[in-house]
Amino acid sequence: MKFSLAVYAAPHSSQSAASALRFAQALLGQGHELYRVFFYCDGVHNGSSLATPPQDEPDLLPAWQALQAEHGLDLVICIAAAQRRGVLSDSEARRLERPAANLAEGFVLAGLGQLADAVAHSDRLVTFGS
Amino acid sequence: MARRTLALCRQAPYGNALAREGLEAVLAASALEQAPDLLFCGDGVFQLVPGQQPAGIDQKSLQRNLQALPIFDIERAFVCQRSLAQRGLSLDDLAKDGPALHPVADTGRLIAGYDTVLSF
Repeated sequence: MKFSLAVYAAPHSSQSAASALRFAQALLGQGHELYRVFFYCDGVHNGSSLATPPQDEPDLLPAWQALQAEHGLDLVICIAAAQRRGVLSDSEARRLERPAANLAEGFVLAGLGQLADAVAHSDRLVTFGS
Repeated sequence: MARRTLALCRQAPYGNALAREGLEAVLAASALEQAPDLLFCGDGVFQLVPGQQPAGIDQKSLQRNLQALPIFDIERAFVCQRSLAQRGLSLDDLAKDGPALHPVADTGRLIAGYDTVLSF
């Protein structure tokens, strides 16, 4: 079955962010297809490369990146939600004249149309957080 | 056949960004001619109460987004009757300048009729 995930939860704030990752790992492990993960609202913080959690706490980012590299996942961060919350690519940081970029490797910025596209092309859309 | 999509609007208008960002996602989908149906339920029914003055807390009004819905081909929206009753509201208390509002008694049955549900 073809899944897409919508993630609204920031890591370290809500268990939903970790649940999304675990759900993604489980469905891929069972041979399903993951069409897209769309990070929206506070979920955009999942794509920040600047978080430095304590060593004895789980870090979701390397796990997302490993999954992305292994399966070629489409990890999309909503660009409008990301601009509000300070998740910027190099080119966005330059364009918006901000002092740093923090979009993590393996994630891409794109518009809300990618959520509508995921709905249109997936058998199931599963939402995490809110 | 096109997939039928329902968007749930569950948040009160200014306490959680999801109220605004949910409507923005709905408008974006509509601009791509994938307009979902809408169901306002839970605290989401408060989005439909007229006379909001969010400038007092430095927030942008959500009502402009709601009024824009008919322009984006969303001419009707469902409203959970029980959510209204639980909050002391009736259909007459809600804004008349957005989509036409249809009360729904059995939201479970309504939701079950869709292929995809976007939950905001």
